[in-house]
Amino acid sequence: MRCVVCIKQVPSTTKVKLDPVTKTIIRDARQSVVNPFDAYAIEEAVRVKEKTNGSVSVLSMGIPATERLLRDAVARGADRALLLSDRAFAGADTLATSYTLSLGIRRLGAFDLIFCGKMAVDGDTAQIGPELAETLGIPHVTDVTEILELGEKEIKVRRATDEGYEILKVTLPALLCVVKDINMPRMPSIAGIRYSQAAPFEVLGAEALSADIARTGLDGSPTQVVHTFTPERAGECVQIDGDCKTQAVKMLGLIAAETKTAEGGN
Amino acid sequence: MSQLIRKYSDDYAEYMRDESRTTGYAETISFPKTEEDVREILGALAPSKTSITVQAARTGLAAGAVPFGGHAMNIVRMNRVLGLRKGENGLFYVRVQPGVILSQLKKDIEEKRFDTKGWSSESLAALAEFEAASEQFFPTDPTETSACIGGIVACNASGARSYLYKSARGHISGVRLMLSDGGIIALRRGCVFAKGRTLELPKENGGTLIVPLPSYQMPATKNASGYYVADDMDAIDLIIGSDGTLGIMTEIELELLPLPAAIWGVSTFFDSEKKAIHFVQKMREKVSNVAAIEYFDVGAINILRDQKKTNAAFAQLPDVESWAACCVYTELHCHGEESALEKLYEIGVCIAESGGDENKTWVARNARDLEQLQFFRHAVPESTNMMIDKRRQIDPAITKLGADMSVPDEYLEDVVALYRAGLEEYGLESAIWGHIGDNHLHVNILPRDGADFKKGKELYAKWARVITDMGGAVSAEHGVGKIKAPFLEVMYGREHIIEMAKMKYAFDPGFIFGRGNMFPADVQEEVQL
Repeated sequence: MRCVVCIKQVPSTTKVKLDPVTKTIIRDARQSVVNPFDAYAIEEAVRVKEKTNGSVSVLSMGIPATERLLRDAVARGADRALLLSDRAFAGADTLATSYTLSLGIRRLGAFDLIFCGKMAVDGDTAQIGPELAETLGIPHVTDVTEILELGEKEIKVRRATDEGYEILKVTLPALLCVVKDINMPRMPSIAGIRYSQAAPFEVLGAEALSADIARTGLDGSPTQVVHTFTPERAGECVQIDGDCKTQAVKMLGLIAAETKTAEGGN
Repeated sequence: MSQLIRKYSDDYAEYMRDESRTTGYAETISFPKTEEDVREILGALAPSKTSITVQAARTGLAAGAVPFGGHAMNIVRMNRVLGLRKGENGLFYVRVQPGVILSQLKKDIEEKRFDTKGWSSESLAALAEFEAASEQFFPTDPTETSACIGGIVACNASGARSYLYKSARGHISGVRLMLSDGGIIALRRGCVFAKGRTLELPKENGGTLIVPLPSYQMPATKNASGYYVADDMDAIDLIIGSDGTLGIMTEIELELLPLPAAIWGVSTFFDSEKKAIHFVQKMREKVSNVAAIEYFDVGAINILRDQKKTNAAFAQLPDVESWAACCVYTELHCHGEESALEKLYEIGVCIAESGGDENKTWVARNARDLEQLQFFRHAVPESTNMMIDKRRQIDPAITKLGADMSVPDEYLEDVVALYRAGLEEYGLESAIWGHIGDNHLHVNILPRDGADFKKGKELYAKWARVITDMGGAVSAEHGVGKIKAPFLEVMYGREHIIEMAKMKYAFDPGFIFGRGNMFPADVQEEVQL
């Protein structure tokens, strides 16, 4: 089975920092990781490859430094890596991104299954998978927790819903958005890393993809981020010591002081 | 009696035990917040000559924090970060109270965010420089991150990364020690040295403490057995690892280092222990920038395999293939990804030369994968403790018996053979893990019943003698406390134990601090007579 995985570089979730002036995310290569949900997508594609003697191509639209993460996917079992990188792709919203990714997928050749993570943890839209499937004109299933059967023409999957689970059959080619329950991603081996460092790596820009520039990047984005900000931390934790009576008196004092402030100091 | 001193009641039962599962008793307990509180408590207890056991997070494995009578002074509320300075060497130094918890301090350092209430203007200026500097870290990393800094210093703790960064000792740059009379000895590294084997320690409010240092030579291995003594030594090193027997630490200053740009972890699986040992020897010989070399034997891996099957909390552990008989974890600390990659390939060569396979490795190059490997490492002792706790429900007298001994490099194969032969001869269940890079393995005997427990204790005493003959140490990182006190005598002999007690007498003439730690009771009587 021929699999394609779409991945995204995101800031390490514990260390997201915003530029105080531009209000954009500071994308430090060292602090960037593959979107956590995409790691499960890579693993599931590699498992399908191993079961069906198939192949895995991994694809990303991003800055040149994304090469590091694509090679990492190769170290974890992918066979081929393609990066779509061009200034013309910058500032893309989900619509423009899914259009660009669809061009990259067509360039990779025939496919049976496309895997995406449930969503990217920096944007939290969960729109890329469904939009990409619509652009390619193929069916998709979101929130996939398990592939139950792999046939030549169709697959059976389980998806999580608010109420429980659904079992769905879907014809191939198809796109699956996977959640964390689906597997336990493997770590690369030293042999895998050696292979990935020497593996061929492709980078394609807008021209090479014959992209319609009006549909890429900022120009092709009907939605735009106007403002990003870090919410102010409100409230402060105060520890009150002493026996019950002392604590009660101190607490009353604090409440009285707060009330006074709220009433404008009167 | 000071209001800070509370009479013991069952509400304080948890303070009578530590992670070693040893249970003690105390007549009174206190929770000081400041150096002044500590002085007040000492003053109140002085007339009755009450013994005092200082304790913090009670995560120790040698029962050093478990009171055997008298007063338990719990310093977890002395938990403030007091200041920061930048040294002439460009390194940052953070000053803390001893009850600061390691995990909290790590977080503060990582986020560069401190509660600066009461900080001096110098500290605030240093903080501004700290915020602008590259990421920093405190390199001592005991597995138990809920440990307090005071406990870490008291037993000279180390952890996996001590292969590169050595034990806590090298990263402690200042200590304030309160003596039984409330006087303070303030020491900063590089300022007060012994003359031969005699120390003259200036007290803060005048006077000098003359300390005769014991005459023994310490083993040339990783060591936390008894007092650190050497000719012309830095005085601060005597306080580090003194197991709460000389005084009460009220402030500690720690040295921070710039965080390496690339931290990569590699778990390598082997089908035999022999191949794993060969790999460790090759690694020591050929690969630099290695911060940790850790080992997990088949007993440890099997415990994890069982836990994963039965306990949902361990479900996220990666699967270890059924053929794997042991695992060696190595950690690279490099200044960039390029050099880390170079070192990674060198590790690959060592694996091949030891009969292993580069394909049978897990490499962690990002935070998420590193967390996975760390979870694996931490799950081993945690799972073992859970297993023993279950067995204790049937026989409460048993505990896990954990060896903490180290030997010089040339004895690695011999010491593993010693352990294997002993475990087989005595028919004991075990799990071995730990710091194989420093020939410092934690052999954990897992008693099934009281008979196993007795046999295990016998075996440890036997090993202590052989390891001493190899030039090793009976405690390499947990300290001596109460559990390993008998082994200390095996290691150094009665004559040197008496010398140690005489030295303690100079600090603590009433022998009030850390009753039962390091010394048998009769030694105290002999010295005081």
